[in-house]
Amino acid sequence: MLFPTLDFLVFFLVVAAALAALDRHFPQKKALLVAASYFFYAQWDWRFCFLLAGSTTISYVAGLSIGGSNDPARRRLVLVLGVALHLGILGIFKYLDFLVSSANQLARLLGLQHELPFFEVLLPVGISFFTFHGISYITDVYRGDVRVCRAPLDMALYMSFFPQLVAGPIVRAAYFLPQLAHPSREPIPVAAALLLILGGMVKKVIIANYLATGLVDPVFAAPEQYGGPDLLLATYAYAVQIYCDFSAYTDIAIAVAALCGFRFPRNFNQPYRALRLREFWQRWHISLSTWLRDYLYKPLGGNRHGRLKTYRNLMITMLLGGIWHGAAWKFVMWGALHGGGLAVERMAYPWLGQRPQSRFGKIVSWFVVFHFVCLAWIFFRAEDFTVARVFIGGLAQGWRDPVQQAQPAMVALILAGMAGQFLPPGSFERVGRWFGRAPYWSLGAATGLLLAAINALGPEGIAPFIYFRF
Amino acid sequence: MSRPPPSPGERAPLVTDAIPPTLRRGGANQRQVLAICLIGAIVLACLGSRDTPGWAERRGDSWLDHQLRSIAGAWDGAMETLQLTDPHEALRAAMGRALDRRWDE
Repeated sequence: MLFPTLDFLVFFLVVAAALAALDRHFPQKKALLVAASYFFYAQWDWRFCFLLAGSTTISYVAGLSIGGSNDPARRRLVLVLGVALHLGILGIFKYLDFLVSSANQLARLLGLQHELPFFEVLLPVGISFFTFHGISYITDVYRGDVRVCRAPLDMALYMSFFPQLVAGPIVRAAYFLPQLAHPSREPIPVAAALLLILGGMVKKVIIANYLATGLVDPVFAAPEQYGGPDLLLATYAYAVQIYCDFSAYTDIAIAVAALCGFRFPRNFNQPYRALRLREFWQRWHISLSTWLRDYLYKPLGGNRHGRLKTYRNLMITMLLGGIWHGAAWKFVMWGALHGGGLAVERMAYPWLGQRPQSRFGKIVSWFVVFHFVCLAWIFFRAEDFTVARVFIGGLAQGWRDPVQQAQPAMVALILAGMAGQFLPPGSFERVGRWFGRAPYWSLGAATGLLLAAINALGPEGIAPFIYFRF
Repeated sequence: MSRPPPSPGERAPLVTDAIPPTLRRGGANQRQVLAICLIGAIVLACLGSRDTPGWAERRGDSWLDHQLRSIAGAWDGAMETLQLTDPHEALRAAMGRALDRRWDE
């Protein structure tokens, strides 16, 4: 059940009606949201609901055990066991066949005859996200950053809440669980939520969908058939597509959570305007980058043990961040490029400074960072290393060939997607305040009208979100 | 009234709310949210009826799906009679023309 579909609209209308009926009954409201979340998840494959419930149970029991013990050794043992169980589940469902395939390739290289059989494990949608939720909760309880959750219902809702269940944002226990302790008396910021939905629909239905079908998919499928202009614009198009696709999902998730009465953290902040690679990671998929920083980079030592260990920690963090996206070497390569880029950038701070000062320096810095990110996206999007090599090699060729796919509408969509990156700070607040002045019934009518227009401008049927496969 | 502050032993994570505080001052209650969603859904159902038969076709082959198909078809026909499908078709045709434009035209 994808957000921009009629199925989800019907589902959400039923949930909204039930929430309105249970407005003053907070425990029942939470129970309803858990039931709705499991129903939502069961639309992909009902069997995975047991996996979600198992992951929730591991987190709940581990949290209780850590919180109920004063023995440091026992607390540490439960932490290690809980994290290992979560990672074990993730490993089996997401990485087992990748490991088998890699072992078989290595065996062939070494001239060995035997090959391991594949298990063909079905990848449960959203497993990477709810695993990270579980690990963050157990670790935060161990560190004393969050109180032990003694209410199973709260734990179930934290792990399964449907807006963030399948593609994030990764919501920390210390951020979300306190929202479940008491009913909020804040008004629901409905104008901001509707604006996020409308913006998300434009990004997904119009920009990401057309760029995918009109330019990115055909060019990445056979890069040898295209000249430099098509390849370069397909690279830019993919950068815009993946941003619009993923940020649209999280914008709609944030809005749906707000309409249910809950807060979510910000996940994107105009990432392609970054002037340093480090700044890019402070603006892109913020909930993942801060998760990796707090649960991986800092425990590895962060930048506290000298320059070489800092570079090593950056590299390990980004390699694991890369493989989190998928079980393939191309994601490892993407992570290695970012890890290496961050390390080189840090090495160059004594000469470059942490932020360029002059206007010329800012333009050059933006250009370099944006194109480095685009280069890494080629590995992320290409089917394999061979396609990526052909693609990158082709960028320097065929500049006199006629343009085939990158026609005016595609260029306009790329420019529209990039224009959103350079809107002045506070634009969303200004539009939100203006939108919020209208009476609430007219907000509904205006949203319906604009959604109908977006739907008409988009193609019929919606492609799945890119981050669903992670 | 805002949420109670975190109690001792709880450290609020250093994250920013996606919806800024300035946009949280005014708002609606859960019943008004439902009313807004219903009004929006009715407007969308009237003006976006052209895509409902296709949506019903993609659903599946159960008895309920067949019923949905006939309802979606009848609903779209009714909206066409009222000329409420015209804006949808005009926008889709305009987008089609924009997508078909070539550099060498």
